[in-house]
Amino acid sequence: MDCRDARPLLADHAAGKLDEVRTAALDAHLQGCADCRRLAASEDALNAALARMPRPQAPARLTARLEDMVAAAEKPPRAPRRSPFRASTWLAPFASACVAAALVVVVTRAMTPAGPGPGALVNEAVNDHLRVVTSTHPIEIESGGIHQVKPWFTGRLEFAPRVTFSGDDDFPLQGGSIGYFVDRKAAVFQFKRRLHAITLLVFPAGGLAWPSGQTKQVGRLAISESVSRGFSILLWQDDSLGYALVSDVNIHDLETLAGKLNEP
Amino acid sequence: MSDTGGQPLGRALLGHADAAYAYALRLTRRPSDADDLVQESFARALAGAAGFRGGSLKAWLFRIVRNTYIDLHHRGAPAPEAEPPDIIDDGPLFQDDLELDRLRRVVAEDIEAALRELTEDARSIILFDLEGFTETEVAGLMGCAVGTVKSRLARARALLRGKLQEYVR
Repeated sequence: MDCRDARPLLADHAAGKLDEVRTAALDAHLQGCADCRRLAASEDALNAALARMPRPQAPARLTARLEDMVAAAEKPPRAPRRSPFRASTWLAPFASACVAAALVVVVTRAMTPAGPGPGALVNEAVNDHLRVVTSTHPIEIESGGIHQVKPWFTGRLEFAPRVTFSGDDDFPLQGGSIGYFVDRKAAVFQFKRRLHAITLLVFPAGGLAWPSGQTKQVGRLAISESVSRGFSILLWQDDSLGYALVSDVNIHDLETLAGKLNEP
Repeated sequence: MSDTGGQPLGRALLGHADAAYAYALRLTRRPSDADDLVQESFARALAGAAGFRGGSLKAWLFRIVRNTYIDLHHRGAPAPEAEPPDIIDDGPLFQDDLELDRLRRVVAEDIEAALRELTEDARSIILFDLEGFTETEVAGLMGCAVGTVKSRLARARALLRGKLQEYVR
């Protein structure tokens, strides 16, 4: 064995990865070659130095976020809601009776907020955000600006989402998609803050139990702020529409974006 | 045969979160960027779970971390250098026993600093070797032929030794 054969084996030799035959041949060469011996010693020293490097652990906050993402990915996707009734003559009387009964329920429930409680709205917003960021196709319409994204929703929703902010260098608009918030369809806008994804959900506000505690005035709107599972969540109503803004950026960054979204 | 240990893939990925974070931190050099990188990599891994074809889940996750890093940080950067010739440059030899002795006493901060000065390619292949990936897995991670892994690794280690010489003189 000469130096040319020996040197590619030195790292494996230092790591104890060589078989007996090659180890013996290399050892024989090293006995007679000072340069290779010195190189072998430096490989050993390098391995020892690399082994001394600390092994950083993922911070608890990151681990919690990853666990949330895994939990969200394990949830089966929500199927679009479809009417259980089909045009069928024998079903018509039964359907009419059901509609009448449902009307009674709707009228009764309209007296008080019928949706889940305020904590559930925060939870739903985080789950929706996680569904978006772990989705294979989180964006159905790529952003070329708000004037391209907003018209895309026409015909796909029963309401027009009021969003005028086109994104800027701090919060570039990535695009949009259709999602669900609790029991209703929502317009989903995706913004970015550096590498962080920010989800804005816009949906009809009626019938939901909105947080009634402390709110923060951002521009002309009273915004409810929460932190849950490592995410910041802002919720507010503007006329008949509800807005949920969710991300793992800090809450001040979200307030800044909320301010931009609510600029006249 | 996959190594998810019978767990759902997402749960099994969580078992490699610390290792992925340690690698991400050495790629990005900043904890907040490492957080972002790991999070984005998990999102891609969960979204692309159907693409996992078995084998080492950890190697699969590391490949996603590296590709995501290249996507996010090196977009528009020049193409990686061409496959190096299969000739090992041994790098500078340590001149005497005193220098070798100093190398043996190099502190972790010096190694971290020397690693940071290497190219992403060189840094990654050293870290993959340190993680105990096989040559075939390293070839998959680096996107190179299995036969060139040894020479790439030797070249990267020679570069690292060269950087360390500057610390121990």
